[in-house]
Amino acid sequence: MFWRILRKSITKRKSRIAIAIISVLMGASIATALLSVSMDVSEKVGFEFRKYGANLMVVPKSDIIDVGFPGVDFGAVTDQRYINESDLWKIKSIFWRNNVLGFAPLLYQVVEIGDGENNQNVVLAGTYFNKDIEIIEPYSTYDDPIFNTGIKVISPWWNVNGSWIENSSDNKSSMVGINVAEKIGLKIGDTYTISFIRDYEDQTNISYYDLTIIGIIETDGNEDNQIFVNLQVVQNITGLSGKVHTVQVSALCNNCPVDTFAYEIQGAIPYVDARSVKQLVSAEMNILGKIEDMMFLVTIVALLASALGVMTTMTTSVIERKKEIGLMKSVGAENKKIVALFLGEATIIGIAGGILGYIIGFALSQFIGMSVFNTTISSRIEVLPIAIGISVGVSLLASILPVRRATKVEPAIVLRGE
Amino acid sequence: MENHVIDIKNISKIYENNTRALDNLSLIIKQGEWTSIMGPSGSGKTTLLNVIGCLDSPTNGKVIINGTEITKLNRNELTRFRRENIGLIFQQYHLVPYLSALENVMMAQYYHSVVNENDAINALKKVGLDHRLDHIPAHLSGGEQQRVCIARALVNEPRILLADEPTGNLDQKNGEVVLKLIKNLHEEGHTIILITHNPQIGKLGDKQLNLVDGKIN
Repeated sequence: MFWRILRKSITKRKSRIAIAIISVLMGASIATALLSVSMDVSEKVGFEFRKYGANLMVVPKSDIIDVGFPGVDFGAVTDQRYINESDLWKIKSIFWRNNVLGFAPLLYQVVEIGDGENNQNVVLAGTYFNKDIEIIEPYSTYDDPIFNTGIKVISPWWNVNGSWIENSSDNKSSMVGINVAEKIGLKIGDTYTISFIRDYEDQTNISYYDLTIIGIIETDGNEDNQIFVNLQVVQNITGLSGKVHTVQVSALCNNCPVDTFAYEIQGAIPYVDARSVKQLVSAEMNILGKIEDMMFLVTIVALLASALGVMTTMTTSVIERKKEIGLMKSVGAENKKIVALFLGEATIIGIAGGILGYIIGFALSQFIGMSVFNTTISSRIEVLPIAIGISVGVSLLASILPVRRATKVEPAIVLRGE
Repeated sequence: MENHVIDIKNISKIYENNTRALDNLSLIIKQGEWTSIMGPSGSGKTTLLNVIGCLDSPTNGKVIINGTEITKLNRNELTRFRRENIGLIFQQYHLVPYLSALENVMMAQYYHSVVNENDAINALKKVGLDHRLDHIPAHLSGGEQQRVCIARALVNEPRILLADEPTGNLDQKNGEVVLKLIKNLHEEGHTIILITHNPQIGKLGDKQLNLVDGKIN
């Protein structure tokens, strides 16, 4: 009988209930949009972080302005300076050495690939993959003098089809980014020729070099557009023996000041600048944080507006139904049954508002995602129960005062002939 | 004493604005008796009915119904006592507009104890409305609405029926139908207390009380 009364009281007062549902829906949709965007974008920014792999970047002092991370624009670099490969062991001899998980030097060179007609410019990156280096002066005598490091150590999450370059003296193997492989039509096992023009004024001075693909890399980052080979390959073709452009360092840093690592590395190798990747993406993080704060405020305001809407509708409903409440009491309804009826209505308003708010909020999150972050926001079903929970909560809270009013209706009202 | 269903001893009701609606009133109503209460507007008829119907409490004095001193009961106890012992018939019927005739009767069962659809149908049969079970109040005539109201008052089988101007909003023909129903209930042994302005209807009672300024004249 309770459900019958509840169902009929709702279906006979559709427009009032609809107004209350719309009130709830507004708050719920904004809450859904906030949750979807913040969960999704946080995850995406987190992924960006992981994509960098390293959380410290070491560059020669003069290059700090022009060298981006992780993409390097050579065109903008003048007075190119380098880090000496022979100094790299020092990174593992700082006070926080045990927190240095690995590092990978990188020497870049733009090369051409192709048959002479459809040549493509590609960045060739020389690095360590899996190399044992000697720590010449360990910080402590207890330290292992041999340190195994390389890009495989700091970026184990790379999606590699085929295999990694394991031998540090392998001068023929290469790992190719998926975009390069697709553009040029290369597959694992293929051998191709790169050409490198040392001097643009003198066309005759062209070096050629043959490489074989043993792995194709897919990272969704800049690596997809590059070719990776052992460091010495790039050093040989460029004549930059013993030099590297940058070093990516992966430091294990759980709530510790990563800037301290940077400072210590600068102390060990005085002509470099070490920057945390966090600094590089901090602007992005700040924007995200500010947008989240703003959306949180907007959500609070929207939920307050929802609560006011529900409260107004419920109060009107109690006033309009005063006689009905008095009658129910006069035929024996205790206050708890009257409360149950109104809170039942509020719950249904909350559930309906929550579901509709979730749908509209999802559309809203797409709009925010595209216009602010330039990315689509994936649908998150786990937001649905949260949206319904918030809506039901707001609806019930907003009903407290009107329901109190209902409990105060005197049953004697039915005999006054008003 | 045993057949005193209602025993009212020296009750007064003084409202906050100092209006004295009932003034040291005493009254005994016996089991199965039909008492008609008459009097001009403002004489305290409705206040008296509210007190007997456990809808309001007197400022002082004592009211004993079916052996229970209701003036000692709190609000929730009064609600429970009312639904067990008293059926109410209103001048304005007070049916829930979105529920059918049958559901309006069943609602009284729900708030009393358990819903039994057959009992509710029988109550409507008794007032001659078994062909109107699924009609909502807006689709019933005034007389029919009042009969639903009577069925609702009867369905939980109270011993006492309170009727506040039950024919006040009805034409003569419908009024007669309703009065006939009340007479039948009286004959079945229900104790009836009826407020009316109409002396003809008042005469139908075993006892007529004329209320003036909160006192029995």
